[in-house]
Amino acid sequence: MLRPTPMELLAGLARTVHQTLLPELQSPYAQAQASSMIAVLMFAMAAADRTRDYDLAEVKDLRRTLSTLASRSANDGSDVAAAIARGVRAASGAPVDRREMEAAIADLASSLALKRLERGRARTVRAYLRRHLARMRELLGNASPSQASQAGSK
Amino acid sequence: MDAERLTRYLSSKMPQAADLRVVDLRRIAGGASRETYSFDIEWTENGERRSRPLIARRDPTGGLLKSEREREFKVLAAMHRAGLKVPEPLFVELDCAVMDRPFFIMHRLPGRVSPGAFAPDEPEHLRAKVADDFLTELAKLQAVDYREHGLQWLGEPRDPWEPARAQTAHWHDIYQRDRMGEHYPVMSAAFAWLDANPVATDRITLVHGDYRSGNYLYDERGIIAMLDWEMAHLGDPIEDLGWASMRFWGREEIAAGLMEREAFLRLYETKTGSRIDRERLFFYQVLGNAKMAVICLTGIRDFIEGRTPDAVMPQLVLLLPRLFDDLAAQLKLV
Repeated sequence: MLRPTPMELLAGLARTVHQTLLPELQSPYAQAQASSMIAVLMFAMAAADRTRDYDLAEVKDLRRTLSTLASRSANDGSDVAAAIARGVRAASGAPVDRREMEAAIADLASSLALKRLERGRARTVRAYLRRHLARMRELLGNASPSQASQAGSK
Repeated sequence: MDAERLTRYLSSKMPQAADLRVVDLRRIAGGASRETYSFDIEWTENGERRSRPLIARRDPTGGLLKSEREREFKVLAAMHRAGLKVPEPLFVELDCAVMDRPFFIMHRLPGRVSPGAFAPDEPEHLRAKVADDFLTELAKLQAVDYREHGLQWLGEPRDPWEPARAQTAHWHDIYQRDRMGEHYPVMSAAFAWLDANPVATDRITLVHGDYRSGNYLYDERGIIAMLDWEMAHLGDPIEDLGWASMRFWGREEIAAGLMEREAFLRLYETKTGSRIDRERLFFYQVLGNAKMAVICLTGIRDFIEGRTPDAVMPQLVLLLPRLFDDLAAQLKLV
């Protein structure tokens, strides 16, 4: 492993801001900015570890969800069929086209909101969205405005 | 913003003020869509030395909102004339030669701000007073005759559906611009639903556009002033109520951190003498969550692309999960 690692560099920078820059700052605004920098560096460190797992899980889930949707025969409209076909095409490429798969799922989520999905497909899209949102919470947390603001002021 | 140029500017605006000095000029946090500076001025007038606390708000190089420079100043001036609790606006300057970017100056009032929901450790009697003031001011705002105050230039809707449609289109356009090629399925679903389910308003009023906990100054006497009028427009009064009562700005069932949500809505009905149309309220709460997510995406994009160096902006990403969860629950997507 090449040292320092990106994580070690980020941790070192956060310490520099905290221990050498912050005590020298007189302006409360500049102090708040330095605190925000530390919070962002800490977040980047935590996320760096988890982003790869998040991406892998997301791609795997998109492929599986689109494949399940394609395997269900349903009569829920040509736009739904087109979105599924678009997603399946993107999922079967080498490499897979993640953005296209996400675009297809976004279209299907819109159809779900408009109640245009057949019940089985609706259940599949809902289940994907539940897992997608859970992964996002795991990666980014579930902060309220007050909590996010406190993170920046610590 | 530098004291020397500010002194020259204010001296030109206040010819009666001799020996004018800008004192204790400092940038302060808050108002992320504009740079905010606090300072005092001292001057001599009629042989007497005087002083006044002021705030200057200047357009940022980037930032959360691409608002018009004059909008906030003009609306603030109208609200001040109408007797709402707002800081007195004094000067607006659109000429970039004066201070690099447009800015305006207003009176600085005392008080503190809660960064999100009203702070839970504040005393109960103060929370009740702030809750009452919050809805009293909203009722006063919605009772203002905007034509009498010459605010038609904000754009009068032509039909009852236009407020919902125009706001949906406005935020959808910004979403398309600032999503940086990403597809957020919950956001696509939200805008599809909003497009398909516009609501009709029963009246047109001035809408603050960001009426929420965190956008007012308060002290032991209650609310001192409502702030941040830059998103003001003409529209459906329920838009502000929907935004203010979103779960995002409160704590679970405590709207705005002030009072239990249903009691909050009943108090609004008492203050305005009108019944809330729950369908419209729901629409504007969905729009509110989508709008806030777009504001976060705009801030993140501006930071990434170098239009703002504000280190608060990248932290906005941390707010997205809660907004997406709320939208998914509202639209029964999960």
